[in-house]
Amino acid sequence: MVEENSGKGPVDTSNLYEGKVVRSSAPSRKKAAGTLKRDTEIPDDAVPKVTVPGWIDTIFGGPVVAKRDFLPPDRMVVSLQVRSSAALLIVCFLTFMLTPVSGTAWFVVSNFIGIGTLGVAIHLGLILVGLVGGFYGVFQRDQRAMLVSYIALILVTIRFAGSKVEFGLSFLPESEVAQKLLLILYAIFLVMYIEISSGIIRFSMLDTSVRTGEVYVMNINKISSRYSKAMGVTPVVAGFVAMLTLFINLIIPAFVSLFDTVAANRLRESVELTSVYGVALGTILVFIIIASMFAVNLPLRIQQYLERQS
Amino acid sequence: MAWSRKSAMFASLSIAMYLLGLVLRNQQLVTVAVVLLSFLTWAALRTTHGDVASTGRRMEDASLDAGIQLQNIVAMRKTSSARVFEDGEIDVTVRLQNRSNMAKVLELRDRVPEVMRIKKGANYVLMEIGPQRETEISYTIEAPLRGFYTIGPVCIRVQDEFGLFHNEREIQLYDDFLVFPKMEDIKDAMIKSRVPKIFTGAVNIRNPGEGSNFYNLREYLPGDPMKKINWNATARQDGKMMVNEFERDAVSDVIIIVDSRGVSETGPVSRNSLVFSTRAAASLTQYFLSRRDSVGLVVYGDEIVSVDRDTGKKQLYIILTKLAGAMAKGNTPLKIVTNRIMPHIHRGSPIIILSPLEDDPTIVDAVRDLRARNFEVTVLSPSSLEFEFDARRIDRTGYEVLKTERDILITELRGLGAYVMDWEPDMLLFTALAGARGF
Repeated sequence: MVEENSGKGPVDTSNLYEGKVVRSSAPSRKKAAGTLKRDTEIPDDAVPKVTVPGWIDTIFGGPVVAKRDFLPPDRMVVSLQVRSSAALLIVCFLTFMLTPVSGTAWFVVSNFIGIGTLGVAIHLGLILVGLVGGFYGVFQRDQRAMLVSYIALILVTIRFAGSKVEFGLSFLPESEVAQKLLLILYAIFLVMYIEISSGIIRFSMLDTSVRTGEVYVMNINKISSRYSKAMGVTPVVAGFVAMLTLFINLIIPAFVSLFDTVAANRLRESVELTSVYGVALGTILVFIIIASMFAVNLPLRIQQYLERQS
Repeated sequence: MAWSRKSAMFASLSIAMYLLGLVLRNQQLVTVAVVLLSFLTWAALRTTHGDVASTGRRMEDASLDAGIQLQNIVAMRKTSSARVFEDGEIDVTVRLQNRSNMAKVLELRDRVPEVMRIKKGANYVLMEIGPQRETEISYTIEAPLRGFYTIGPVCIRVQDEFGLFHNEREIQLYDDFLVFPKMEDIKDAMIKSRVPKIFTGAVNIRNPGEGSNFYNLREYLPGDPMKKINWNATARQDGKMMVNEFERDAVSDVIIIVDSRGVSETGPVSRNSLVFSTRAAASLTQYFLSRRDSVGLVVYGDEIVSVDRDTGKKQLYIILTKLAGAMAKGNTPLKIVTNRIMPHIHRGSPIIILSPLEDDPTIVDAVRDLRARNFEVTVLSPSSLEFEFDARRIDRTGYEVLKTERDILITELRGLGAYVMDWEPDMLLFTALAGARGF
C-alpha cells in the first residue's frame, strides 16, 4: 500500500516561491518550557522500584505467602477467628496430651548430650510456637504466622513410634478403640484448624474485594451458611473415612468371620494388621473404593440423578 | 476440575505425612494424613457434583432456538450502546439463568477490556442462584480511550466451599463496541480556502461573491441590489455610488492528515500525540461538516488509509470510525502521503496535518511541495516531548536539546509559509488553531 519514494532525492522547488510571501516567526517556547525546574536531579518516580527477593523467595521462585492488607474484619471473619482459635486451643491441648517427647529427634539429641530436660523444653516450645503463632496469625490475619504455626504443630508429631500408640500423658485410655478415636479427634481438629484459619484469609480477601467494589456478592448469607454447613459435614465424613482405615484390623476379621471363624481369629491376633501397616492396608482398601467411584464418574451420575429427581 | 494451590499443598502434605508415618511407624502421622486425604476427596467429590455446563446467546436471540444450549447455565448480555465517545459510558446487563433443578454457587466474571473502568456495579459477582431461577447483573463501564473493543467472554466458576477445587467454563458471548475520539467545540477554525466551488457554503474563500464577511468597496454597477449600497462611503466619494462587496462563501474541500506512525504513540497511553491528533481530527471534521464543507481524511502509519471527501453526518461517522481504529504502527514518510494525495485535491484547498513532526526527514520537503502548489497548510503538532517530560520520562537536559531541534524544524516549516503550531498538552484545540495563525 505504501508507495516507494522515487529515489531521486529531494526536488528543488525553490523556483516556485519566487514572488510569493513567505511568513516566519520566532520559535515557540510556551509554558511547559517556562515551568521547567532548575534542578537536574532525576525524579524519584522516574526510577522503577526494585525489590530484591529474600533467600526463601529465591528458593521457591517467589514469596511463599504474600503479605496482604485487609479492611477491618466483618462478622463472618470475626466468627471464623473465634472458631479457629477454639480449634487451635483444642489441637494444642490434644497435641500436648497425645504426643510424647520420646522418639523425637530432639529427645535423642538431648539424651545424647545428657540434658534430658532440653528435649522436653524443645517439645513444649514447639507446641507453644504453634499456639502463639496461630493466635497471632488468626487475629492479625498474617499468613506467615499461620504457616509457622502449622509447621510447628506438624513437626511436633514427627517421632519414631515403633507401631505403638503411645500418649504423652499416662492417664489416657489404654483400650485400642479409645486410643484410635482420640487420634482421629486430634487429626480432625488439626485439619479443621488449618482449614478455618486459611478460611479467614479467604473471607477477608472476599470481604475486602466486596467493600472496595471489585466483587459483588449476591445472597452472601447463603454463601456463608454453605461454608458453615460444610464445616460441620466435612469433619464427620473425614472422621468416618479415617475410622474405616484405622479400624481395618477389626473390620476385616469381622468380614472374614462370616466365612471362617478360625481365620478371623488369626487375623485379629495378627501384629501386622494392628500395626501401622494395617492402617496402610485399610487406607489402600478405602481409597481403592473411592478411586473406583471416580473412575465410573459416579459423582456426575449422582448429580444428574439428583437433578432429575428434584 | 482444576486444583488450587491450597489443594496441591494439602495433597503433598498428606502424602508426605503418610509416607513418613509408615517409615517411622507413627499412627498419629498416618491418621492426620488419612483425615487430610479424606477431606480432599470429599471436596473433590462435591466439586464434581457442581460441574457447570453452559452456553451463551445474545439477549435479543433469546426467543430463538439458535445457539448451542449445553446444559444448565445460560448467560445473555445486553449493552446500552454499541458506539460511544471517549469518556462515555456503557451500561451492561448480564442475565444468568440456572435451568437445572439444583441451586448453585457461582462466580461470574464478565471480561471487559483492560483499559475500561468499571464506574458502577461490578463485573465480578459471587452468587447463589436457585433452581430454575434467573438473575441479572448490571454494571457501567467508562471508555476512556478510542478504539474497537469487545466485552466477553463470560467466565463462570464453581468451586467447593473450601476453595480446593474448581471447575471453569467460558461462555463464548461477545459484544463489540466502538469508542470514537472525544470532540471539542470549535468556534472558528480560521482556515479559509482560496478555491471556489460551484455550490455556496459557509467558508469564506477570499473571492468576492455572495457571503457575509466584508471584502471591499467598489463602484455601483447597474443591477446591484440597493441593500448593498454603502451610503457612508457614497457620501465620502462625492455622490459616486459605492457598494459593499462580500467574500464569497463556498463549499470547500478540507483535507485532514493524521500521522499514526509508531512514533506518534510516544508518551503515556492516554496522553500522546495520536490521542490528541485523533481528537483534533474528529473536532475539525465535525466543525467543517457542520459548515457544509467536504472533508477528507488521510491516516498514515504502516499504510495510507484515506476517506474520500464528502459531506454530511454519514461522512462524520465514517471518519470517526477510521479515527477510532487508527493504530500507531509503521513509519511511512509524509512525502509519500502528499505525493499520493496531491493529484486528487483541488489546489488551494486547506490541508491540516496533525503530526508530532518526529522521525521523518521528509516533512520539510512534503510541506514545501504543498506550499509550492498553493495549498494552505496548517500543521498542528502535539509535542510528544511535552508528554514525555510531563510524565518525567526524560530529564531536563534531554528535553532542552530535543526542544531546540523541534523549534528549528517548526521555524523552518513556518518559513515555507505553513501555519504551524507547537501544540502543548493543556492547550485547547481552538487556542492551538488560533496560535497557528499567529493570534
